[in-house]
Amino acid sequence: MYYLAAVITVALILFLPRIGLLARIKDYRAAKEREQMEDALKHLLDRENQGRHATPESIAGTLDIARDKVTRLIENIEAQGLIESRGNNLHLTAEGERWALHVLRAHRLWERYLADEARMPLNKIHGEAQRREHNFTEAQLNELDAALGHPIRDPHGDPIPSREGKMNRAEGMSITAWQADRPARIVHLEDEPALAYQQILAAGLRLGQDIRIIEKNPNRYILSDGESEFKLAPAVASNIFVSAIPESEMLKREAIPLTELAHDQRAQIVMLDDSVQGFTRRRFLDLGLTPGTTIFPELTNFFGEPRAYRVRGTSIALRNDQAAQIWVKPV
Amino acid sequence: METISPNDILAKAETLRNSLSTGFRDEIVKSIYSEAERVAHRAVKTASDKKYDLDQKIDRLVTSPWTGLPLMLVLLGIIIWLTVSGANVASEAIANLLFGLGDLGRNLFNQIGAPWWITGFIWDGVYLGLAWVISVMLPPMAIFFPAFTFLEDLGYLPRVAFNLDWLFKKAGAHGKQSLTMAMGFGCNAAGVVATRVIDSPRERLIAILTNNFVPCNGRFPTLIMLATVFVASAFPPALTSFIAAGTVVGVVLIGVAFTFFMSWLLSRTVLKGEASAFTLELPPYRKPNLGRILYTSIIDRTIFVLWRAMQTAAPAGAIIWILANIPYGDANLARAIADWLNPFGLILGLDGVILLAYIIAIPANEIVVPTMMMVYMGAGMMIDGPGTSAGIFDLLVNGNGWTMLTAVNLMLFALLHNPCATTIMTIYKETKSWKWATVSVVITLGLAFLVTFLTASVARLLGWA
Amino acid sequence: MTNIKINLPTEHCETCPAFTQLEQMGIKVGDFDRVIALAGNPNTGKSTLFNALTGLKQHTGNWPGKTVTRAEGGFQFNHVKYKLVDLPGTYSLLSASQDEEVARDFILFGQPSCTIVVTDATALERNLNLVMQVMEITDKVVVAVNLMDEARRKGIEVDARSLARDLGVPAVPVTARTGEGIATLLSTVAEVIEGKIAVKPMRVEGTPEFQKAVNELVPMIESMAPGIPNARWLAIRLLDGDARVQKAITSGELGGIVQRQRQADAQFSRKMSVEGRQ
Repeated sequence: MYYLAAVITVALILFLPRIGLLARIKDYRAAKEREQMEDALKHLLDRENQGRHATPESIAGTLDIARDKVTRLIENIEAQGLIESRGNNLHLTAEGERWALHVLRAHRLWERYLADEARMPLNKIHGEAQRREHNFTEAQLNELDAALGHPIRDPHGDPIPSREGKMNRAEGMSITAWQADRPARIVHLEDEPALAYQQILAAGLRLGQDIRIIEKNPNRYILSDGESEFKLAPAVASNIFVSAIPESEMLKREAIPLTELAHDQRAQIVMLDDSVQGFTRRRFLDLGLTPGTTIFPELTNFFGEPRAYRVRGTSIALRNDQAAQIWVKPV
Repeated sequence: METISPNDILAKAETLRNSLSTGFRDEIVKSIYSEAERVAHRAVKTASDKKYDLDQKIDRLVTSPWTGLPLMLVLLGIIIWLTVSGANVASEAIANLLFGLGDLGRNLFNQIGAPWWITGFIWDGVYLGLAWVISVMLPPMAIFFPAFTFLEDLGYLPRVAFNLDWLFKKAGAHGKQSLTMAMGFGCNAAGVVATRVIDSPRERLIAILTNNFVPCNGRFPTLIMLATVFVASAFPPALTSFIAAGTVVGVVLIGVAFTFFMSWLLSRTVLKGEASAFTLELPPYRKPNLGRILYTSIIDRTIFVLWRAMQTAAPAGAIIWILANIPYGDANLARAIADWLNPFGLILGLDGVILLAYIIAIPANEIVVPTMMMVYMGAGMMIDGPGTSAGIFDLLVNGNGWTMLTAVNLMLFALLHNPCATTIMTIYKETKSWKWATVSVVITLGLAFLVTFLTASVARLLGWA
Repeated sequence: MTNIKINLPTEHCETCPAFTQLEQMGIKVGDFDRVIALAGNPNTGKSTLFNALTGLKQHTGNWPGKTVTRAEGGFQFNHVKYKLVDLPGTYSLLSASQDEEVARDFILFGQPSCTIVVTDATALERNLNLVMQVMEITDKVVVAVNLMDEARRKGIEVDARSLARDLGVPAVPVTARTGEGIATLLSTVAEVIEGKIAVKPMRVEGTPEFQKAVNELVPMIESMAPGIPNARWLAIRLLDGDARVQKAITSGELGGIVQRQRQADAQFSRKMSVEGRQ
């Protein structure tokens, strides 16, 4: 009697549809497979954006799986018509690219959510988003997108694909079209032709550098980063892409963080740091912490923080790590 | 005419949004505020800043290292001392009155020849439950709530949040959690609702799950009774109320310590994450309106809570009377259940009756003491009268084998055990998740068992009990 | 694991329209003629004003001290019965915190006959932020400049007439604690509802780029839901990417509001003409 009951119980636990152990293992494996496939698609997209080709080896390396499993994975994806292999090189089909962009959109939206709303540290969000990006429907992503207020970039500054799968790449313009004297930041170094790319690197120019055109004529360009000068042929210089230095950084140079303001020292808010986004930024704005507002610290906790600041006739207490994101100019 | 569908509008909005420069929100708020500045500038004339200076002086005092923290302790001590000393006298008077009325009622029923079970059910069951709840709960609440509301209306509570935020930050929680804890003194369910002031879901959950470590008004009577009957009775009568109040303050501080510990633990395990936006307004101090204080604290709070307690006390009294009058073996069913729970109770340094009382009191903590008393009294009457310390001491120690360990562990258990049914439901409503409601029970009950088990074991090992 | 809960709108009955809410509560709509919402920043004495108006007849068990969910009470003034809904105190209606959503949804979907925005006379500039946001959603606004006694003590003078002229809606100085100015406030509210006082709320202009975008969207919204009173505000919210408003547009919730408002108005004028009070 007991024996029979035990057998039935075990059988139920194992075989019950949907909630039985076997069904769960099957679900889990299906989810795992889909995750791997999506990761592979994303890898292909990534490579294509860099202008390189993905290979079975590169997939094995990025996804950290064995070579024979990769072969099976690729066959599987190819059978679904998402990729095509030409020789050793793999290419996304139109359908494959759509899917990859969907996953990329999920990833970057999640990163935005984790950084803004869950307030995770920036170095942790990539891994977390990597785990969460899978198994989302288009509708769910649209909902997330709306809830976050349709962000354009992820917290690392990379563009988030739009609902239609379009992506605004960080563009910039060639320095040959840039107005002399206007400070610029290098946003892209074209790697083709390779020779020009080598010359640019050899001159000591790198991505993210702030430069200024000192001299330009049909024979040469002279650029400066304030310390050293770089001389390049116009044909080479045209492979350097620049954009304006964000206004916020220009402002920051003349301001101090609110935390450094002395007691009762009046100051004017210059800006909220770009790193304050999402809910915190909205809250700050609603409290009237807008540029141009007068503010001064009037009360400090005996532990050193929070500090209370008088702003627009009210005393508002802030922790130091938040106050440090408000840039002010003493008056 | 061509009709416009909602999707057309959304699509258009998206195109326009992408064409606008980023920082749209910043621009909106900035232009609203600059308009507001202009309008306010025209409408407002300011002469001097006298009152503001006074506020600042008070704030310096309230938040300075030498006066800020001690002031918080002193205020807590004063409120609890007022509650304990005032409640003692009033509780005794109300108990004598209500129990006297009960005797009259019983006699009346006997004289008109009502059957014993009707008399017993009504007067020894339902009425006794109500009488205990009113005499134990009404006086402390009627003193505590006005005092508390006074501090609230004065504007003092945000300063407490300001003072303690640093500690909460270290525990990975939000400074406004202290506001929700202050609410918890009144009622944990209210404390849970009050966590809405915390914006981040993570920190809000921490505040919800730990709110129960603040003893609510339903549990205060238990603490006050034990502190008065057991701890303070060892001191000269002149000191009684101070010792009792000191003991309750001590228990509250233990609860606060557990709150910090549990917040810290949660924020490092299941509720990991960064601190969210902490913005706290320190409003100007305002002269409290006494009429309004009395009204809100007595009608909205005291009567409201008392009524809720009475609604559970009446059926609980009935259940206990029935259990106590169903014969089972040598004694009755209530005893039998208590005896069956007893071994487990003893391991925790408590006893079977206490555990039975806590099971019956799941709907509302207020009825723990009444339930205990009714089960104990089934075995023997009090000599000194039901409302007095000496009477209760006699009943518990001489009649039912309580020791100091029982008293201490019951205080700890009362502080740490599971939330009442109302609070659990509120947690479910606020989190919309049975998982978190369950977690709140598991954490508190597990901790209560663990702590009482440890203190009982240590006490026994050292030969104290 | 971090608890992931995106702040999507929930189906609290805070979002139910006031008139339907009444029916749900088993109170006949006839029990109240008009619904008034009470909005305001935290710590402006909003609850005191609420109690001053409803005569402490508040049966909500307003437990947490500060209003976290909306409290309701009623009062009668010049033979008209009003229901007063106390909204949570908020600095703004933009952040989409739980409180703000409750407040905003009520003003938008509850369609109160009039909204009183309580402001602190001692910190008017900060409080006007909320006033202007409420005025974007609804025209029927009366500003109550509260804490006048405190302002006088602090040597602050508030010129309510200048305020009203600039804002385009009535501004009434009151001291809720003592009852000063309450009667004026009520008669002003009544006159605004009856249309005896014309309101022309000030609208924040913003950058030209912003105005152009708004002007493109407004006609589309108006043609979808003719007679909608706050198309401009909805357009701004859509441009800001507000999930709640997007949902309201797609679900057809907005069209329903206009319909309901008309019915309620018709009902009220019928009742008033039968009883001969108007």
